[in-house]
Amino acid sequence: MRLAADPEIEEFRAEFAAFLDANLPSAEEAVPRAKSSADVPGWARVWQRKLFDAGWLVPGNLPEYGGRNASLPQLLAHAEEMSRRRIYHSFNPQGVGIIAASILSFGTEEQKRRWAAPILRADITAALGMSEPGAGSDLAGLRTRAALEGHHFVVNGQKVWTSGAHDADVLLTFVRTDPDAPKHKGISVLLIPTDTEGVVRRPFGSIADPDDFDFNEVFFTDVRVPRENLIGPLNEGWKVANGSLGHERTLLWLSYAERLEDLIRDAACDEEWYATLLMDFQALKLLGYRQLGADRNPAEVSVLKLFGSEAVQNATLRALEAHGTEALRHPASTAPHFHMNMEVFSSSWFERYARSFGGTIAGGTSEIQRNIIAERILGLPR
Amino acid sequence: MEFEFDEDQRMLQRMVRETVAKSRALPEDQLWSTYLELGWLEAPPVELAIILEELGYAADPTPFLATATWFAPLTGRLPNGSGTAVFDGVGEFVLDADRADEIALLTSDGVVVRSGAEVRAERVVVFDPTIHVARVEQPELVAGVPELALTGLAISTVGSCRRILDLVVAHVKQRQQFGVPIGSFQAVKHKAADMYVAIERARALALYSALTIAEDDPERARAAAMAKAAAGECQRLCFQSGFQLFGAMGYTWENELQIHLKRAKAGDLLLGSAAVHRRALLV
Repeated sequence: MRLAADPEIEEFRAEFAAFLDANLPSAEEAVPRAKSSADVPGWARVWQRKLFDAGWLVPGNLPEYGGRNASLPQLLAHAEEMSRRRIYHSFNPQGVGIIAASILSFGTEEQKRRWAAPILRADITAALGMSEPGAGSDLAGLRTRAALEGHHFVVNGQKVWTSGAHDADVLLTFVRTDPDAPKHKGISVLLIPTDTEGVVRRPFGSIADPDDFDFNEVFFTDVRVPRENLIGPLNEGWKVANGSLGHERTLLWLSYAERLEDLIRDAACDEEWYATLLMDFQALKLLGYRQLGADRNPAEVSVLKLFGSEAVQNATLRALEAHGTEALRHPASTAPHFHMNMEVFSSSWFERYARSFGGTIAGGTSEIQRNIIAERILGLPR
Repeated sequence: MEFEFDEDQRMLQRMVRETVAKSRALPEDQLWSTYLELGWLEAPPVELAIILEELGYAADPTPFLATATWFAPLTGRLPNGSGTAVFDGVGEFVLDADRADEIALLTSDGVVVRSGAEVRAERVVVFDPTIHVARVEQPELVAGVPELALTGLAISTVGSCRRILDLVVAHVKQRQQFGVPIGSFQAVKHKAADMYVAIERARALALYSALTIAEDDPERARAAAMAKAAAGECQRLCFQSGFQLFGAMGYTWENELQIHLKRAKAGDLLLGSAAVHRRALLV
């Protein structure tokens, strides 16, 4: 235990900071804004490509996939440097953080070259098709069916909440390939190009705005997908699902720490809640650092997610209430504009509060996280 | 920053846990001499926090906390025997003043040490019968609670809360209603999970506070306020949910849960409750 920084990490941090100083797009370049989580404006594609080529996009990856074999503490320093400057990590966060990561973990060399590298270079964008109308928290209950016919899978079914699907080039889709197996078996993962015949995407508005299109319903009718688009072994999709979310979850707490830090920096919280905000921010960072260590119980990531997402939600609610009738304004800007950030983080108080529910619902609800803590850490019966 | 115990600290934690579990039934004076023999009073802040968490877990009956975290930081030495300290703000509730061998008084002339026999201290009857607090007559005191005293109470309170959670978890696993253990109900699970998260939060902030003291970091005063406030908030939840989940059994004198509920509550009330230290964070 020590407060002082590791000199090796600081060297890594300084190198990244110098890269940012030299290469960050200007406010004039960054005028066109992203409209969804798979809509990457031209300037942002150029920027992502620059990060990729320099090995700063996902520093934990191999150099040929936009990284430099960085360690977990180095990844943390990288993310901290971005947060400090309020640089949004990626304009196709699921593509870079989950889908490319899953292909790199579970795909063949050919699949890595054909799909992961273009996603990371922002040549194409990707969306994640997991949830279905009947399969949310109970993801293993998914029913989208893929039947193997010769060299193709034939896919029929529906996904929902598929963020950015209408702007994405490809969908990482969880499908049932063995309807007779127990529900956690019999799941497989297919990469489905969105221009394949039979794929219909219908974006729908969020609580923030009828034209805020990120969520989609995606319908599959007799969609023929080449067998070589199977990611990981047939019927082993549950492993990929856990792996995919695992990628996303290791440093997920950082996004909550960022939101808390924003609220502290912008002094946006009410006086009564300010102490809670400071304590939550400090404690979340400490628990996050600790989780970087070896031999941690993976279920402890649930503590970080539950604690971080609820801390952000409570603090945002307090800030909304502290602003009284002013908080009625919508749309509105409630924080300084940072051109490398997403507007949603400085949008109206109502929108910021509403969006905090993304943290407590998506990626495993707070209720599911509490079950995980109770069962896998405290050992209570299922 | 690195926020993990090193190998020596892990070993110390294992050793303290074993020692505390083994010596549970020992009388107070033997416990005290065990702690002295093991050199626990001399432990630096982070190691002291490791020890105090376990002593809080065990509801230690000795004057260890006041000696190590009230007397020692004010005087810069260990007392001959046990010790405590009096400063402005403790009011009538000075931990162990009725039984300490030496008492440090923080006066406008600086720190004055008297023998316990010289200082008039009257034990006050409080809801927690396992702690000693006493009223000390001494008019000319100045403020100056050592950060280590706040950290010590914070981490001891975290230890009490961990004990409450362990007792509750054991209870709800074994207690059957409607043909199943009540720990299989989500309403019960979710309360237990929230207790766990509150403990993790308070524990992290208490250890951080110890670390800032160990490294004499400029953040140490704020870190100590955060630690004490978070421990207070943690005990509020653990007291309430722990008592509730234990059902009527927790309402009895025979059940050991009551000992730890009271320790946790007293830990918040001594040296300023959560609300007091939250206000300190505003400036």
